[in-house]
Amino acid sequence: MSTDVDTLWRDLVTAALLGSDRRDPPDPGGPVGDLVADAVRTDASSRMLATVAACVAVRRAGVRPGSPVEPLRPPEPDDRPPCTPAAVARWHHVTTSWPVLEDEWVLTCVEQGWRVAAELAPALLRRHRRNAVRRARAVAAVGPTAAWLVEHLPELDVVGRPRPLSPVEFEQLGELPALPIPPELSWLLDATGSEVGGVVAIGLENGDFAEPHRAVLVNLLARCVPGGLVDVAEVLDAVDRRSSGRPLAISLGDLATTRARMLDELSAP
Amino acid sequence: MGESSQVDVDGTSPRATASAQHGEAITDSRSGVCVASGHVATVVEVTWTTEQVEAVAPSPAAITAAKPLASPARWSGLGADERVLWGSCRGSGAEPYDTAVDHVGVGFRCTCPSRKRPCKHALALLLLWVQEQVPPGTPAGVVESWIGRRVGRADTSEPVESAPRPDAPEPTSTDGAKPPDDRVDEPDPPQPPDDARDRARDERVERMFAGLTELDRWIDDRIRTGLADPALAKYATWDDLAARLVDAQAGSLANRIRRMAGLVGASPDWHDDVLGELGLLHLLAQAGRRLGSLPGPLADAVATSVGWQVRQADVLGGVPDTDRWVVAGRSDRREDRIEVRRHWLRGVDSGRWALVLSFAAYQQSLDTSLEVGTEIHADLHRYPGPALRALVGRIHPPPEAALFPLEVPAGPPPGRPPSQTVAAACDEVGRMLVTEPWLDRVPVSVTAAPGRSGDRWTLGDATGSLPVVDPGLSAGDGFAQLLALSSGSPVDLTVEWTPHGVVPLAVHLDSRSVDIGPRADAAFVGAA
Repeated sequence: MSTDVDTLWRDLVTAALLGSDRRDPPDPGGPVGDLVADAVRTDASSRMLATVAACVAVRRAGVRPGSPVEPLRPPEPDDRPPCTPAAVARWHHVTTSWPVLEDEWVLTCVEQGWRVAAELAPALLRRHRRNAVRRARAVAAVGPTAAWLVEHLPELDVVGRPRPLSPVEFEQLGELPALPIPPELSWLLDATGSEVGGVVAIGLENGDFAEPHRAVLVNLLARCVPGGLVDVAEVLDAVDRRSSGRPLAISLGDLATTRARMLDELSAP
Repeated sequence: MGESSQVDVDGTSPRATASAQHGEAITDSRSGVCVASGHVATVVEVTWTTEQVEAVAPSPAAITAAKPLASPARWSGLGADERVLWGSCRGSGAEPYDTAVDHVGVGFRCTCPSRKRPCKHALALLLLWVQEQVPPGTPAGVVESWIGRRVGRADTSEPVESAPRPDAPEPTSTDGAKPPDDRVDEPDPPQPPDDARDRARDERVERMFAGLTELDRWIDDRIRTGLADPALAKYATWDDLAARLVDAQAGSLANRIRRMAGLVGASPDWHDDVLGELGLLHLLAQAGRRLGSLPGPLADAVATSVGWQVRQADVLGGVPDTDRWVVAGRSDRREDRIEVRRHWLRGVDSGRWALVLSFAAYQQSLDTSLEVGTEIHADLHRYPGPALRALVGRIHPPPEAALFPLEVPAGPPPGRPPSQTVAAACDEVGRMLVTEPWLDRVPVSVTAAPGRSGDRWTLGDATGSLPVVDPGLSAGDGFAQLLALSSGSPVDLTVEWTPHGVVPLAVHLDSRSVDIGPRADAAFVGAA
């Protein structure tokens, strides 16, 4: 667009601030002036509106790029492969439906030598801005891009002043947080999938387990031996359809399946 | 839609034979005037009867509506010659309707928005003529060129437009409250009888014209009193007008007014933004009141932008635009109480863009059938005019893949639009906006790197840069994702151009595309 049109536009904005009752609109002249010369009415506001409309149309149709901009300095390289799109999709499912699994998702990602796919990095950093241990894990999973992103987008930085991890927190870094599980069920943490599934399924069918036990059962399935998760899901899927525990069985089955697939997707590259 | 507003319909004359339409000179049995090619300056003898006028009326109701208009007091510039009648009828709109009737070849032209063929103005003009109240004269200007074209077509034996032009769009209550649904498997509801529908439509059109007049008056007030007027800071200033525009069937304009209210004070340059939008609304209000005199495609574009709506069945009845369509980008945006999802498709062969919309009210689901980075071979049915908006019709099965392709097909990999520089992208945006300067957003592909210019983010390359809409104003992590995916290097992108900058919608990597467009609040919609 020509500088003349830009100048005319600035004059129009100035006149529009005061209003045509108090300030005569600028004389457009040039091609814009020709364009609005046949405006139906000749009063000041009509002429100004016609000029504004023509000027906007010309400026829009003549959209031009601004000056070239210096490119950003890239982040430090990260040789780790990005986790797969399936793993990214699983993270979204986990954080939406089974947040109890997220710690394990991030830890496994780091331990197995993946880096978090770039499209997931902002969401992961934004999600963990308060808990120091989880933030540290997220930064490790994202890699050097984490600091680079925070440099450019401060809203992804931690809430409050950054501080180093305490010794206790440092020890927690590589371990999953403990989840409350009653002593009578703790033996199932090391049991086979069939055993875990069997106990839970029978309990749901005969009414020993019900909705009030959901949190405990979720914790159990989030920490039981991963190798048996497929079996657990199969056994839970076979819970009697007439049983009142069937809905909870289906829900827990989804948890077991989600965890199994999550760990499969994050197995070593 | 605009074409149907400027009705130009041929029919069968009660007197003239079909041979007249093919250029043969005919002699009228009553006047003895030779009328086939060219005009003869002579006193015009009325060759029609009232019954014949009634016979060409689309319905008895049309004649009833025409009779009050068959009074010289309602007309100006009346005239007739041996071929054509003309005059300007003062209606409810700000501008009179210019009407002309080819009384030999039987064709009608009127700048009113009615879909009736002939409209009540053309019928009234015929009735006036039958009552011998139309003075003889020589046609000039538009009438002369119109009748000249008709005569020319007849002389050269070109086929005369005999098929009705597409129906005018049906005005709706409002874009926001009752958005069109693009799902093609839902048939239109049963239609009322023609008479009732026409009457209702005419009433709606009258209201719309009145609304456009009021809008322009309101804009004029803003220009006179100035943008520093404290009234602009009051929501009622905008909301009252928006409500009246909804009543006037101009729902799209009502939405624009509400969005404009949000611009006031929103940025240091809000005066620029509001003034620009006022200019565009003025353009639309003026054009909307002159639909009949606009070229067809432009009239269609204006009518759509004002808020007229076309029935899905009419759109789907049009010629399909068949291509392999890349789903290049998606963006969600809350407009009033409706979540609007835009899918931008680009034809692999045609290079043309198309827009597929879906809508969701609270706890309803948005369309998830189109996935960014995929390609569909489909018939798209475009809305009238140059509009980008289209409905997805038949989806064709993908062609059998060659087991041993001899050569790699040219062009970008499947599922992504072609790459281009920032300067080329600006050219493409300009070409789309020159057709419809009031468009809020247009899609474009570009290969660019994120950068920073002062306190604004940009997308740029050696040919220039484009400002990015403040990432904080877009729902989701789209821009942060773009930063992470690019690591500051150039990437292939689909973006939406808006007057305030571009919105990144998708990053096209070598192996896949990542959808980073603004996403609807999952708490609002069922499946975002």
